[in-house]
Amino acid sequence: MQIDIEAVKKEHVGFAFDETTFDIKAETLANYARGCGETEARFLDPGHPDFRAVPNYASNFHGRRNLPENFPADILRSFDAGKCVENLAPIRPGDTITGRSHIHDIYEKTGRSGPMMFVVHRMEFTNQDDAKVAVVDWRLVMRLGEM
Amino acid sequence: MSEEARRFEDVDFGDEIPESFADVRLATVHVFTEASGMTFSRFNDHQAARKQGMPGAVVPGIMSQGIFAAKIHEWAPGCEVEKLDTVFRAPLIADTEVRVRGVVTDMDDGARTVEMDLTMLNEAGETPVIGTALVRLA
Repeated sequence: MQIDIEAVKKEHVGFAFDETTFDIKAETLANYARGCGETEARFLDPGHPDFRAVPNYASNFHGRRNLPENFPADILRSFDAGKCVENLAPIRPGDTITGRSHIHDIYEKTGRSGPMMFVVHRMEFTNQDDAKVAVVDWRLVMRLGEM
Repeated sequence: MSEEARRFEDVDFGDEIPESFADVRLATVHVFTEASGMTFSRFNDHQAARKQGMPGAVVPGIMSQGIFAAKIHEWAPGCEVEKLDTVFRAPLIADTEVRVRGVVTDMDDGARTVEMDLTMLNEAGETPVIGTALVRLA
């Protein structure tokens, strides 16, 4: 299947396509931190006065949809090339976090296995006070020859 | 672990996080996947992962990202990891020996931040996971 990357960009980049909320629980934050090998009490001990999520906790959030409707690629045929998390404020137990998704960028690269489409899925997170807490860019790669 | 904060003045360009092992035992991966909801068999069961064409159970990419953050906190207790970018180049396999390295590549006196390059090495000496971090120090 041939894909016109510029046309896909024009149709999908910059448009919000999902909004999901997440309730933050202390026990989950502590276990997540333990699994990452954290050693600091502010991430492990819910009784710590500065208890909060580890810096990459927002990387774990997924929306109800991973790609916009009518996107010309299947998420199941993509692979996860990486994640970038920017932390703007702590995420704490009791918070209600809202994540809004849009496609931030689409570009093509050619590697040994042929042309690939990179999709940068961006989720921006705010808490219950509407304060921005994190931005996560998720880079998805799709082999154009397999679509 | 030293609880003493590492101050910006204590750090110099080229400083390294001492190489250490990442805990990617399957039991630890279970703790992470239960907390993150990533209970898929490819992360939690060596045999199931092999049936899916993997060499063994895969350490979730975001767990390796979290390990990078934990290693930064060990090196600089109390610091703030403001940005953490991780590239997943190849699967990291549970129950293998994984070493973590980091090095300071840039410093901003005004913001009291350092940039770091981060690397995970597998038993073959390959780098299946690499990353960069922006870290604010005391």
